[in-house]
Amino acid sequence: MYDKTMSLSQAADLIKDGMLLAIGGNGMHRTPSIFSLALTKKPVKELKVCGAAPGLASDILFASFQADTAYFGFFGLENEAGLAPGMRKSMEGDNPKAKAIEGS
Amino acid sequence: MWGSDLVAKRPEFFQVVKSPFDGTEVVCVKALVPDYAIIHVQEADIYGNCRILGPSYQDALMARAAKKTIVTTERIVGTYRMKEEPKLTAVPHFLVEAVVELPGGAKPGICYPEYQAVEWPKHKAYQKAVKEGQVPQYADSMLEGRL
Repeated sequence: MYDKTMSLSQAADLIKDGMLLAIGGNGMHRTPSIFSLALTKKPVKELKVCGAAPGLASDILFASFQADTAYFGFFGLENEAGLAPGMRKSMEGDNPKAKAIEGS
Repeated sequence: MWGSDLVAKRPEFFQVVKSPFDGTEVVCVKALVPDYAIIHVQEADIYGNCRILGPSYQDALMARAAKKTIVTTERIVGTYRMKEEPKLTAVPHFLVEAVVELPGGAKPGICYPEYQAVEWPKHKAYQKAVKEGQVPQYADSMLEGRL
């Protein structure tokens, strides 16, 4: 075993263009939202996101238009937090910037 | 998967094949192999051994499916915590590439029992930022002193 501690910025630098990310938590619960916000400060793009119920941390990557594909069963923030605004913004409309692969 | 429309709707993920053992038809599911799992936990040691308090959702599975895992944690704890109760280690160190001590790493969401309610003003600020194209500014406000 060796020491793997690093700064948030250093960890975010591990993510490269086009990577598939499994982002933990559920809806608004224990979702790594601050890590995703740190990723929005990096020039990384064309990310793919997967999870049974992607939540806020995944939504942030669609809000920043850095993710272009989501593989999921359910994508929302649940309860009072409502729908996932970033996912909707990037996937809805006549010219969506991201695609949803439900049931994958 | 039998009886689900997904088998017909998603042939890129689901295929019916004959079992090589007895010839019966079985549904095969294509595996997704994430480059990274990214999870936020309550406790991790410097080596990446993680403890999740409360529901673990799919986090432990994600860490095993992915090539490597990045962990953000409410706090770094001594490895003695893992040795005291090894069965509570949800993610073992060898699956982990990075450990970031990040109190409040799930905000404005919830991380039981550290913070048990959504920070509504900050979440409403996020919703507004998405609508108005102000996500970079929102990120700045949430990341202050954390990078």
